[in-house]
Amino acid sequence: MGTVSQQAQTAPRAKDRPARGPAAALTARAAKNSRVLTIAFTYLFVVYSFIQPYAYRRGYATLASRRAFAASFEGNKGLRLLYGLPHDVATVAGYTAWRVGGVLAIAAAAFGLLVAVGALRGEEDAGRTELTLAGIVSRRTAYWSAMAAAGGGALILWLAEFAGFLAARLPAAGAAYLALATVSVIPVTAGAGAVVSQIAPTRRMALEIGGGAVGLLFLLRVVADTVDSAGWLRWATPLGWAEELRPLAGPQPAVLLLPAAASVALLWLAARLGATRDIGSGLIALRGSAAPRLRLLSSPAAQALRSQRDSLTAWAGSGAVLAFILGAVSGSVTPADVPHRLDQQFAKLGTGSIVTPAGYLALIFLFVILTISVFACAQVGAARREEAGQQLETLLAQPVGRAGWLAGRLLIAAGATVVISLLTGLLAWAGAASGGAHVPLGQMIEAGANCLPVAALFLGIAALAYAVVPRASAAVSYGILTVTFLWQAVGALLGAPGWLVGVTPFAHVGLVPAEPFRAGAAAVMAAIGLAAALAALAVFRRRDLLGD
Amino acid sequence: MTAIHAEGLTKRYGETLALDGLDLSIEPGEVYGYLGPNGAGKTTTIRLLLGIHRPTAGRAELFGVDAWADPVPAHRRVAYVAGEPYLWPAMTGAETLEFLARLHGGTDRAYRDELVQRFDLDTGKKIRALSKGNRQKVQLIAALATRADLLVMDEPTSGLDPLMEMTFRECVAAARQRGQTVFLSSHILAEVEAVCDRVGILKQGKLVDQGTLADLRHLSTHTVEVTFDGPAPQLAPLPGVQVEPVGRSGLRFEVGGSVGPVINALAGHPVTALTSREPSLEEIFLHHYDGHGTAGHGHG
Repeated sequence: MGTVSQQAQTAPRAKDRPARGPAAALTARAAKNSRVLTIAFTYLFVVYSFIQPYAYRRGYATLASRRAFAASFEGNKGLRLLYGLPHDVATVAGYTAWRVGGVLAIAAAAFGLLVAVGALRGEEDAGRTELTLAGIVSRRTAYWSAMAAAGGGALILWLAEFAGFLAARLPAAGAAYLALATVSVIPVTAGAGAVVSQIAPTRRMALEIGGGAVGLLFLLRVVADTVDSAGWLRWATPLGWAEELRPLAGPQPAVLLLPAAASVALLWLAARLGATRDIGSGLIALRGSAAPRLRLLSSPAAQALRSQRDSLTAWAGSGAVLAFILGAVSGSVTPADVPHRLDQQFAKLGTGSIVTPAGYLALIFLFVILTISVFACAQVGAARREEAGQQLETLLAQPVGRAGWLAGRLLIAAGATVVISLLTGLLAWAGAASGGAHVPLGQMIEAGANCLPVAALFLGIAALAYAVVPRASAAVSYGILTVTFLWQAVGALLGAPGWLVGVTPFAHVGLVPAEPFRAGAAAVMAAIGLAAALAALAVFRRRDLLGD
Repeated sequence: MTAIHAEGLTKRYGETLALDGLDLSIEPGEVYGYLGPNGAGKTTTIRLLLGIHRPTAGRAELFGVDAWADPVPAHRRVAYVAGEPYLWPAMTGAETLEFLARLHGGTDRAYRDELVQRFDLDTGKKIRALSKGNRQKVQLIAALATRADLLVMDEPTSGLDPLMEMTFRECVAAARQRGQTVFLSSHILAEVEAVCDRVGILKQGKLVDQGTLADLRHLSTHTVEVTFDGPAPQLAPLPGVQVEPVGRSGLRFEVGGSVGPVINALAGHPVTALTSREPSLEEIFLHHYDGHGTAGHGHG
């Protein structure tokens, strides 16, 4: 491995020479391939790390208000679940470490997985690894070059987060350390991504297994941070290690040894697994033959449902499990130790009262709404993949209408959105009931249904983006979703005027069950979504099909 | 009613003019070979004919129906074989054939089973486990089994082995006998020569030549090779004829038009052997692409 890491290190130097070595060329190629992903995460890291400390400083200007704020937060298990364990939220630095570090560590975990699977299994899936290895490139060089590119991505995100903190006037040393704690997760999940890339035979399966693993790491941190006797579990997940580094609140830099050791072990394991297997297949073999199953072949929509079935089941299943756990945790939220005034202050964050099970569930469902909107965008992404892979050309050369095809895909997405939303509401109720919180079933079903107008809006937006700018549609739809969600979270804290805060749909959601359902706003959002979807059908009818 | 009719069909992708004012008319029952090197605009033409892409100018009709405006009715009478077999990796061959049959309607299932036998396809295998040639067979079988009035094929035999190539030619011949129209885009000249009634040659987005093979040959050069008893004589220059020596006692004549003047000039010389050869399609094709061929003298 020593020689290989040397190769990786020589990459930048070789770049200056007229003839680059294969390792440098492969690293540069892998970095270019993941540039959209890297740019998107860089944007998230820089904006989020700037805006949170900035907004906190503005929103809680006095020491007294911060102390009071801290008192309300430190005991709240519901918030720990999302943001992790707070160590010192009465200072800008401590608040930032908790609020930014916790969320961006989750994003960093996702980034590591996505970038590693894309560079390894994604390239292999596309047949390009075979081409590379047919040249004068060894497997080792190809592997470590791809991983060097992932390392470069981690470095860029560290710089982005560091820059965001500096812009928000955090002390440089602390900011650098906090950013390091956040990105310490990346090599670990990149190592995990490298391992699943050896195991799984397709990119999609690698992402599914890896996504499940990252979800589990998150769940471990959730349990560790919310169940008093399970704090030790924090040591079992890189997301917990990022917390135990205690950035800006009594740093423990020795903890860095854990992510370092874990990533070296995983990267080494993946290199070993990849050294002897057949290129183009994984350690899990795909079945090459099967008896024909002729159901769900009568129309493009039926066939889409058939091919999406596993993915839809995974979404519904993981949504249900998470909703149940979050529901169960809601029982631990107690109003007794939170003064009313603080609760009102927290309402400034746009999440309403959080000191009752219902209030806590309302906050959770804000994130459920976000997740289901992501799901809606992902469904349109699946339609786009069918076009990019040119199967759509095969379909549309048949007597199949374009508008009918897209409408079918959107209806499947809408139907699945309804099922998952209601299921999430139902399971959150069941979880709450099991955790001893008394929230009426009807209210939780309503909370689930309350996701639908926003999801319909984003489904329409994603469809329109797909019709108008197919190649950029994912960036556009996820970008709008991210910006509007973040704007909801910080717009009010930044003191933006009401009308400007109001441009985000999330400002118009009644946070059921804590607040009443806002029928008028919901109707407007659903109508805009429908109009956008209809416009998408009209535009899609009139454009060329575009491959990758 | 023509099977394929295009008028001034033009497609521009940004700065690139992919197809430049194509006029094309193909009668029902014709087998039309559409020739051109990579990037000449063959696939673009097909995408415009099928309404997959939108013409920048001009229009295209399949049996009188504009496939851009009315794709569903237009496609009912058409079956398409794409240049690359883009299918669904997780579905087996049998599932794919059934899916495509249900989408198109009118598939002759008995003929489909026969084709599966003739092309020697294992339909139990998933698409992802098939080689490119075998995936191509899935597409071909699906298209041929529809018995559609018009078969549009974009380099359909790429990836097929020579035995399967022969089977393909037999199937096209059978389709012609049944009165089906075939639009065969290809750069495999022997294939086009073997199965097509009429040929169009595309160069940089323009149709530069079109006609039956006999037409094209008539207007191209013939090669006449003559061997003499003894050293080859010096002949007076003939208009439209290029002469070059072959060894000490042979001459090769490249003749545009009639070979009469060459025969006259040879009279009285001690000719021991004379061969005359029509140009192969390859030579006609290369004529347009060797840099000397003048574009735009189409006569179809």
